[in-house]
Amino acid sequence: MLLIKLAFRNIFRQRRRSLLTALSLTGGYVLSVFSISMQDGSYANAIAFFTEDHSGHVQIHKDDYLDRAKIHKTIDNPNAIATILDKHPSIASYTTRVFAPALSYSDDGNTPVQLIGVDVLREKQTSRLYQKITDGNYFADSPNDDGYFSAMIGAGVANSLEVGLGDELILISQGADGSIANDIFIVSAIVGENNSPDKNTVFLPLSGAQSFLTMYGKVHQFSILLTDISDAREVATELQSSIPSLSVAPWQVVESSFYKTMQADREGNLVMLVIIGIIVFIGVLNTVLMSVLERSREFGVLKAMGSRPSKIVSMITLEVTMLSAMSIVLGLALAIPLTYWFSTAGIELPEPVDVGGIKMSRMTGLLTPTVFIIPMIGIFFAAIVVSIFPGLRAANVTPTAAMRSH
Amino acid sequence: MTIVIETKDLCRYFGDSEETMVKAADHVNIEIEKGEFTAIIGPSGSGKTTVLHLMGGLDNPTSGEVELSGKNIAKMSGGELCDLRRDHIGFIFQSYNLIPVLSAEENIEYIMLLQGVKTSERKKRVKEMLALVGLSGLENRRPGKLSGGQQQRVAIARAMASRPDIILADEPTANLDSKTGIALLDVMKELNEAHDMTFVFSTHDEKIMSRASRLIHMRDGKVELDERK
Ligand SMILES: Nc1ncnc2c1ncn2[C@@H]1O[C@H](COP(=O)(O)OP(=O)(O)OP(=O)(O)O)[C@@H](O)[C@H]1O
Ligand SMILES: [Mg+2]
Repeated sequence: MLLIKLAFRNIFRQRRRSLLTALSLTGGYVLSVFSISMQDGSYANAIAFFTEDHSGHVQIHKDDYLDRAKIHKTIDNPNAIATILDKHPSIASYTTRVFAPALSYSDDGNTPVQLIGVDVLREKQTSRLYQKITDGNYFADSPNDDGYFSAMIGAGVANSLEVGLGDELILISQGADGSIANDIFIVSAIVGENNSPDKNTVFLPLSGAQSFLTMYGKVHQFSILLTDISDAREVATELQSSIPSLSVAPWQVVESSFYKTMQADREGNLVMLVIIGIIVFIGVLNTVLMSVLERSREFGVLKAMGSRPSKIVSMITLEVTMLSAMSIVLGLALAIPLTYWFSTAGIELPEPVDVGGIKMSRMTGLLTPTVFIIPMIGIFFAAIVVSIFPGLRAANVTPTAAMRSH
Repeated sequence: MTIVIETKDLCRYFGDSEETMVKAADHVNIEIEKGEFTAIIGPSGSGKTTVLHLMGGLDNPTSGEVELSGKNIAKMSGGELCDLRRDHIGFIFQSYNLIPVLSAEENIEYIMLLQGVKTSERKKRVKEMLALVGLSGLENRRPGKLSGGQQQRVAIARAMASRPDIILADEPTANLDSKTGIALLDVMKELNEAHDMTFVFSTHDEKIMSRASRLIHMRDGKVELDERK
C-alpha cells in the first residue's frame, strides 16, 4: 500500500509533466483502438459480405476440387453428408451446388458462362442469390409443362444474348460422362447488375443441372453457414475427421487469396501501430529519465537505507505502469463510446473503397474486447520496457556521490 | 565491553596517479564500543565523511578492514552491503534525508517495510519513535511542511525505528541554527542514554562536540587524537 502511495505521489509531483505524458499515452491508446477497430471492422464486413453472399463459412469438396475444379470430382453421397451436417449444433444452414463451364446461345448470339446448379430451397437460406434478383421470379425446382427447366441469368448474359424473362436460352457443355450436353432453359429471373461478379453466371435448379450434366444425385460442393463465423476453423476440423473421404475447408482456405491479403494488411497496420508506440514511448522515456535524474539524491538516501537496486527499478516500473494504467482508464472512457458509435453508425464513404476485392461504401468498426485489450497489453509491455533504463539509472546511483552533492 | 565497529588500517584513496592521489582515509584504526556517543571532528577535507561512509558500508575501502559486530564488511558485495545497512546501520545525513512525497510517519514506516516488519508492528513503532524525538502530532506532515530541525528528528526516528546496531550521522546539525542543533543533539544524547543506542557523528561545531563523550580528531585522513571524557 505504501509503495502504491509512493508511486502515486511521485506521479503527481510534477503534475503538468505527468499530465502531458498521460495524455500522449491516452492519445496513442485511443488511436490504436480506433485503427484496430476500423481495420478489423472493415475486414469483418468484407468477410461477412462474401461468406453470406456465396461462399458460406465452410465448404466441402471432393479432393482438390477447390484448387483444380474438374467435373468428375464429385461428392457422390450428398445425403450421407447432409445427415452429418443436420446433426451438428454449430451449423445454421447448408446447401449443395454443381458447377460447370458452358456456352450459352440465343437467336442473337452466344457467350461463355459459368453454370451453377443450386438446391432451390436450401440456396435461399444459405446465400443471397434470392436477394440478388433484379427482375423476374426465383426459379422452381421442377421443369415446366414442356419439360424445360428455368434458369436465372446474370445481367451480363442477358445483355450480350439480348434475352429477357420468359425467353429461351440454349446451353451447351460437356457432361460428366464425356457426352455433349445441350438443352433449352427458360429465363425466369435476371440476377445482379452488369458489373456484379455474377454477371456471366447462369443459375439452374440443382436437378436440372444434374440431368443436364449427367451427374444424377451427385454434387460438387457443400456450402455451410455457421451460427458463428469464428467457429469456422474448428467446425471444419471436426467435420473433416467425420468425413475423411472429402476435403473440408473453412472460409480462410476457400478465400485464401483474400485471407492472405487481409493478414498482410494487418501486419502492415501492426507495423504502423508499433511506430506510433515507439514515438509515444520515446516521449515517456524522456519524462521518466528526467524525473529520475531530478530525484537522484532520494535514490541515494533509499540506497543508504538499504533498498536493493532491484527494489528501486521496480519502484520506477510501478510508477510508469500506474501512469499507463491511468492513461488507459482515461483512454477507455474515450475509446469505448467512440468505438461504439463507429461500430453502430459508422462512416459513410464518399466513394466506395476496395477491401480485399469487395467494394464497401460504409465503414463500420468492430466492437470486441480484443480491440481494446491488444493496445492495452502493448502499452503495459512498452511501459515496463521503457521504465527499465531509467530504473537502472536510479538503481545505480551511488549513495556516497548522491549525498556529497550538496 | 562489546565492540560494535572496528576499523583496521582502513584506507580510502581517491585518484589514480601518485601525484593527484588523495588519501581521504589513511590507516585509520578506530574501535567503537556499544553505547558510546562519539564525535569525529577535524577540518574540512580531513576525511570525516569518508570514514563514516566506510564504517556504514556505503563505500568500499582501498585497503584495510571494517568489522561490524565481528563481521568483516570491507569485502562484501553490493547486495550484502545493502542488507547490512538495512538491518544494522542507521544513517543521518546533513540534509535531504527524507522522501519528500511521504509524510513523517510514512518516511519512518518505509524502512521497516524494507525490513519486512509486520504492518501492526510498524504502526506501533512509528508512534513510539515520533514520541521519542518529540514529534507526536506531526505524523502526517510532509517534509516540506517541517522545519529543518523537525526533519532531522524524523531522520533520527527513522534510523531508530529500524533497530540498528549503530547510528552514523554526518554533520546532522550543519544546516541548523545553533540552538536547534543543540536541541537535536540533546535528543540523540537522550536516546543514547535511555536506549543505549550507539552514535557516531561528525561536526565542526564546538558546542556540539562538547556534548560527546568521546572525540576523534582527524587530519589529512589520519586519526590525530582519540580522547574519551
Ligand atoms: N569521490 C571523491 N573523489 C575524489 N576525492 C574525494 C572524493 N570524496 C572525497 N574526496 C576527497 O577526500 C578528502 C576527504 O573528504 P571528506 O569529505 O571525507 O572530508 P570531510 O572531513 O568530510 O570534509 P567536510 O568537513 O568538508 O565535510 C577530501 O580531500 C576530498 O576532496
Ligand atoms: Mg564531510
